[in-house]
Amino acid sequence: MKTIIEPFRIKMVEPIRLSTRAEREAWAREAGLNLFLLPAEQVLIDLLTDSGTSAMSAEAWGALMRGDESYAGARSWYRFEKTVQEVMGFPHVIPTHQGRAAERILFGTMLKPGDLVPNNTHFDTTRANIEHVGARAVDLPCAEAAQPDLRAPFKGDMDVAALEALLAEHGPARVPLVMVTITNNSGGGQPVSMANLRAVSEVARRYCVPLYIDACRFAENAWFIKTREPGWADVPVRRIVREMFALADGCTMSAKKDAFANIGGFLCTRDPALASRERDLLILTEGFPTYGGLAGRDLEAIAVGLEEILDEDYLRYRAVSTAYVADKLAEAGVPLVLPAGGHAVYLDARRFAPHIPPLAYPGQALAVELYLEAGIRGCEIGTVMFGRDPAHPDERPARLDLVRLAIPRRVYTQSHMDYVVEATLEVFARRDALRGLRMTHEPPVLRHFTARFEWLGA
Amino acid sequence: MSTTPQRPAWAEPYRIKVVELIRTTTREDRQRLIAEAGYNTFLLRSEDVYIDLLTDSGTSAMSDRQWAGMMLGDEAYAGSRNFYDLVDTVRDLYGYEFVVPTHQGRGAEHILSRLLIRPGDVVPGNMYFTTTKLHQELAGGAFVDVIIDEAHDPTSPHPFKGNIDLDKLAAVIAEHGAERIPYVSLETNVNMAGGQPVSMENLRAVHALCRRHGILVMLDATRAIENAFFIKEREPGYGDRALADILREIASYSDGATMSGKKDGLVNIGGFLALNRRDHYEEAMNLCVVFEGLHTYGGLAGRDMQAMAIGLREAVDEDHMRARIGQVRYLGERLMAAEVPIVQPIGGHAVYLDAKRILPHLPQDAFPAQTLAAELYVESGIRAMERGIVSAGRNAETGDHNRPALELVRLTLPRRVYTQAHMDVTVEAVARTMARRGAIRGLRMVHEPARLRFFQARFEPLSGT
Repeated sequence: MKTIIEPFRIKMVEPIRLSTRAEREAWAREAGLNLFLLPAEQVLIDLLTDSGTSAMSAEAWGALMRGDESYAGARSWYRFEKTVQEVMGFPHVIPTHQGRAAERILFGTMLKPGDLVPNNTHFDTTRANIEHVGARAVDLPCAEAAQPDLRAPFKGDMDVAALEALLAEHGPARVPLVMVTITNNSGGGQPVSMANLRAVSEVARRYCVPLYIDACRFAENAWFIKTREPGWADVPVRRIVREMFALADGCTMSAKKDAFANIGGFLCTRDPALASRERDLLILTEGFPTYGGLAGRDLEAIAVGLEEILDEDYLRYRAVSTAYVADKLAEAGVPLVLPAGGHAVYLDARRFAPHIPPLAYPGQALAVELYLEAGIRGCEIGTVMFGRDPAHPDERPARLDLVRLAIPRRVYTQSHMDYVVEATLEVFARRDALRGLRMTHEPPVLRHFTARFEWLGA
Repeated sequence: MSTTPQRPAWAEPYRIKVVELIRTTTREDRQRLIAEAGYNTFLLRSEDVYIDLLTDSGTSAMSDRQWAGMMLGDEAYAGSRNFYDLVDTVRDLYGYEFVVPTHQGRGAEHILSRLLIRPGDVVPGNMYFTTTKLHQELAGGAFVDVIIDEAHDPTSPHPFKGNIDLDKLAAVIAEHGAERIPYVSLETNVNMAGGQPVSMENLRAVHALCRRHGILVMLDATRAIENAFFIKEREPGYGDRALADILREIASYSDGATMSGKKDGLVNIGGFLALNRRDHYEEAMNLCVVFEGLHTYGGLAGRDMQAMAIGLREAVDEDHMRARIGQVRYLGERLMAAEVPIVQPIGGHAVYLDAKRILPHLPQDAFPAQTLAAELYVESGIRAMERGIVSAGRNAETGDHNRPALELVRLTLPRRVYTQAHMDVTVEAVARTMARRGAIRGLRMVHEPARLRFFQARFEPLSGT
């Protein structure tokens, strides 16, 4: 069989509502041309994020009904802890209400002002949490990452030579940890190879700096290693996952991605003393160490999701269905990041609308137009999201201006995706008419979430 | 204060739809298990607990309607319809203008403290609560207790032992100046005082005093609906008012509130920060997105916001609250009948055993309440919580234990979870523990975390003398 189908059928549906272009124009204006500010009911196909938007399985819902809501020592906690230990291989597990809380606790415990944290590419909340404690987030992507249309297998890799240079210059005293994000979300959902992880791990070890993996999409990354990296084709994904984490000293995880959960996250470490300090901070802002700000039922659902995500039939379907969208768009000449990432298709807005300069936010302009055209909500990952750096007074263009069409797990069908492709092609056909934007309201941190815009010349 | 119930019998305004099995253990099991848990009930596994009275936080049974609401969860990252339902509900019930959802109450405390407190500030409040005080301190503020003296006397029958002493508050304002006081932190149904309510008269007076000085009043609204019930029952002029009305009036004397939905709100997870000023809201949104999540979900699944919106509406139902308080009172009155010393009057969410009077032979340094909670577990498999010297922590300057006047064991009742028979078993277990109190020895602390030590501290029995 050539056709790869979903290894599941639908058990429960959620109606979505069609709208007219006139309605959407009014709604977009009310939302200040920021799709984050749209009520979800005004969206037809929501590709804003794959975070927390997955369809859970009947198994996960069944487990959810068994949630033990005891404040301390709930059986749901022990099930969760055991699953994380088995899948990731870390002894100490700290539950948090979601990924950014795990990051905050990690950085709150390990960083001091002036420190540097290298990563292949930091994501928005990671960067914000590092900057919040007065440290600096440093992106060290590999050279291929800068060429959106270059089809290389592991464009999420870190630049190992740059890491080595950074550590040689500043030393372990200023660099308390090295991070690698798998897959590399800001860089197009591109995977990191086992070879690169191993090289990064060796360098970090040589400088006695712990390596932490931002593990949000660890299973998708493992699938790419299995299918793209020589020598791994016959290794079960479960073992690839263990080998990836064996190279690290800990990880942060948003269970809202590769655990199919609608809420939840965790932090892992091998260091018992560090774990103890992290738990002290956890109690203060999250919750008691056996629930960490989650309902017992959510711990159950995550435990089920972490097992389900390792199913290779699912991962094959996931990679193929994302590539389906990317391939159709690429065939029609739409500029995008290639090859397709695991969880999203990234339109290259700078080439899509070359007449809009980066500081007129081509990504935002394109995302808004896709919404007006078809009710599709994508997400700008570009100058709006990353245009501010505390080290520089002026706004600067981001490395890339992308529109991410993130695909929630197990939620949309092929016909939904055909509609998305069609709408994108419609916008592409009249791309010269796209207009740039200016920001009329700029929040001081994570501005992309609540900023407001107007069209230039409006 | 009469302890006779208003009616001879009350019944739950619900029937049971889903059950969760619990298991019994032997005394030998429990002796081993409590030793493994370092004589700290927080460190027991829940499956080794028979009746779990550790906390009423997040342990409620949700209704079929709340579960149905869970199935209507809109898990969109931005603009979930459940968020708008929650905002409408909070506006409707409490009257606050702006709502920032948070994953639970301490998320709201974290944001509020960072939002309003500057280093050197002073925050007066009606008795400390563990996480609230610590957030105030980490933001650079200092907590000052301005609760009435009766709150520290477990035998005082004062009907509103949660009240703020207006003279103490005026003195704090005179000493530090209004500009050093960002807000008064006013807790409804004061937890550490034994679940004791604040009167409407007192709320009104505190609000008026603060207004005169330009000081904000921030409510800890966690158990405000239970507080409203006591006002209805005890305060002249409120007997015929609807609970929902009284709740609105309570909130009207404040400028915002932190809320843990895990108590009054009948949910297992969730909370919010409510504010009336737009500038506060704008800044709170920015803090929320860093620490909690985007301001339209704040670290909660959509379904959890929906369950909280429905739960809050169920909580202002008069019959619900009569049964809720009625059950607590039933437990308390039966304990009193068995001559067990408890904090009076009986509070809203818990009965507090007076460990100082139950174990008068133990000095406070031998942790009488911690000891009693451990003994109660060994006796019966019932899990309670210490609220005494362990919870109070250490003085940051002197390094000595803070020594609260009260040394209590809290028997906290989850909402809609346990039956009258469970309560009867609890009374028997406490009475049996009382009967052998002469043989009970104290504890010494062998592991002490730096902050909020009660959660994870470990103990060993003191050897006999």
